[in-house]
Amino acid sequence: MTHTATWTRGPCRPRRALYLSSPIGLGHARRDVAIAKELKRLRPELDIDWLAQHPVTAVLEAEGEHIHPASRWLASESAHVAAEAAGHDLHCFQALRRMDEILVANFMVFQEVVEEGCYDLVIGDEAWDVDYYWHENPELKRGQNVWLTDFVGYLPMPDGGDREAFLTTDYNAEMIEHIDRYPWIRDRAIFVGNDEDIVPDTFGGSLPAIRDWTTRHFSYSGYITGFTPPKPDEVIPLRSRLGYRDDELVCVVAVGGSGVGRSLIEKVVAAYPLAKKAVPELRMIVVTGPRIDPAVFPRRAGLDLRGYVHRLYEHLSVCDLAIVQGGLTTTMELTAARRPFLYFPLGHHFEQNFHVRHRLDRYGAGQYMDYATTDPDLIAARITELAGKPVSYRDVETDGAARAAQLIAELI
Amino acid sequence: MRARYPDSDGFVVRDGAEIRYERYGEGWPAILLLPPWSLVHSRHWKMQIPYLARHFTVVCFDGRGSGGSSRPTDASAYSDVAFASDALAVMDATGIGSAILVSVSRGALWALRLCAEHPDRVLGSVFISPSARLMPPPAERRVERFDEVIDDPVGWQTYNAHYWKTHYSDFVTFFVGRIFTEPHSTRPIEDATGWALETDGETLAAADRGIERCDAAATRRLAAQVDCPVLVMPGTQDMVRGYADGEALASCTGGAMVTLEGSGHFPHVRDPVRVNLLIRQFAEGVRR
Repeated sequence: MTHTATWTRGPCRPRRALYLSSPIGLGHARRDVAIAKELKRLRPELDIDWLAQHPVTAVLEAEGEHIHPASRWLASESAHVAAEAAGHDLHCFQALRRMDEILVANFMVFQEVVEEGCYDLVIGDEAWDVDYYWHENPELKRGQNVWLTDFVGYLPMPDGGDREAFLTTDYNAEMIEHIDRYPWIRDRAIFVGNDEDIVPDTFGGSLPAIRDWTTRHFSYSGYITGFTPPKPDEVIPLRSRLGYRDDELVCVVAVGGSGVGRSLIEKVVAAYPLAKKAVPELRMIVVTGPRIDPAVFPRRAGLDLRGYVHRLYEHLSVCDLAIVQGGLTTTMELTAARRPFLYFPLGHHFEQNFHVRHRLDRYGAGQYMDYATTDPDLIAARITELAGKPVSYRDVETDGAARAAQLIAELI
Repeated sequence: MRARYPDSDGFVVRDGAEIRYERYGEGWPAILLLPPWSLVHSRHWKMQIPYLARHFTVVCFDGRGSGGSSRPTDASAYSDVAFASDALAVMDATGIGSAILVSVSRGALWALRLCAEHPDRVLGSVFISPSARLMPPPAERRVERFDEVIDDPVGWQTYNAHYWKTHYSDFVTFFVGRIFTEPHSTRPIEDATGWALETDGETLAAADRGIERCDAAATRRLAAQVDCPVLVMPGTQDMVRGYADGEALASCTGGAMVTLEGSGHFPHVRDPVRVNLLIRQFAEGVRR
């Protein structure tokens, strides 16, 4: 058979973007879909392909977005992270370091896609592989490149001692050197948040303060929720539609989609009888996620265990109290919806323990809980104290996706 | 987790030694990733396998003395001929008639044997940081006295059979530090150290003595017989074997050379993207 090929004249090519959304946690997917929608509003002629993997693909498919067929070659980052977790603990810095071979494998897929696709623009929301290996191999860069993240700087956990502090400093130093040497690799860097959301720490050793450095090298989009929380007059109709009565106090317990949350659910379920005794109108909805069988927990009146809840964020947005891990997306959704919540950062997870906690403190949102020292009695006491109580959080902006899209659209 | 798991794996038994291998992918031609010195096992190819296996059949094996393979105690079990014979046995077991060889460091010696003496099984050969012993090692290694008892050895003096019996992990720390001379290499250093600690000093000493007959003259004779396409990739900051060895090998074989400016002894680990692209480009050339 004759080999055939097509070359399209430059002026005849459609404008194209390749979007990468980190599969670690579901939060990136929803905010990236929100950004993409705003971007298409600003640039209707722009075609967007997604190089994505589970669970991001589930969100994209539901939204009718186009997933690049090479996505099937990607090695699973979320499975790696789940395999790294144990109990209520995930040392995410070490998990990221040990993900090196997955990042290389996925970068090689990405590079083939971007070389064949004639993309004008690459958008990477915490696409660690692209950012690292383009800085290490700058001759491979194609198109304009946008980097998005919601935290800057690896921070050591105190029990990691000098060794961990050395390692986080070394990783931060390498990142800073990358940006200094090749400032043209990131055509735009967007911090999903505001300058005050950045921790008051340094990058370690003699390296600069994280906030100062970030302000010099990033644009701030404000927070991007990925959905609009219900207005006050929409809360009661939405509660009714979701099957919640006005005379019950609804506590939603959610631990994300990985198997990491079982330990937390066990503690909360143990707290339920105590809390129910103190607050008879309590109803608890525990969302175990697909990897934890709801049937393994004891059945009690008013305790509703579910493997999956469609549009969970709607339930969170109208609940009277939420009990969650310390992930940024879920806690900020609760903050935006002005719901009281208890959050338990995963052990050794520097992002949840430092970056997210700092941001929530700034918003005055949520009750920080230390999983290791919290028993069912304390959880029950906090439920009794906070369920249904008004909150006084700082407002969360709702224009973050539009601001991010504007920053991106300026490049094409 | 690994980025990719083997499609099949197993053992071949040769001269009483079990050799553990893995096979990935289905494309043609096959690429055989050879073991280096028995310090590390085949996981050191972890940055290559997922990429190459999308385009080619990839086979690797743990060199004798490392990983899941046997650890003979006799030096004669670690000759270059023994390693080359293991490679052929693995090719037979995995149904690979001929392959492109990719070697690192001392794996160059087994690759040269295969190229020179089994040309029908070799389509081409890539030599990364070859340790072919054609040239003297870097100046800092000239303090080595492998079989002498040295009181309180430092630096390359720890490359010493007696020291390895009692201070193997200290030697590993030193040696792995000389493999990765590039800044910000903490992760590769941890990996390589962990792999090295899976074997032991006495095994490594036997493996070291096994190649005593691979002197420069013998290696030059083998290199002169190489008739297949060759690509040599030496690093200018290679503190284990030195850049000059790669230059000499390229000259002896008439092969192409890509200098990796600033690279140490394991560029396939520290700069996997460029090395992967070079291997693929070479293999595509052979395919045509």
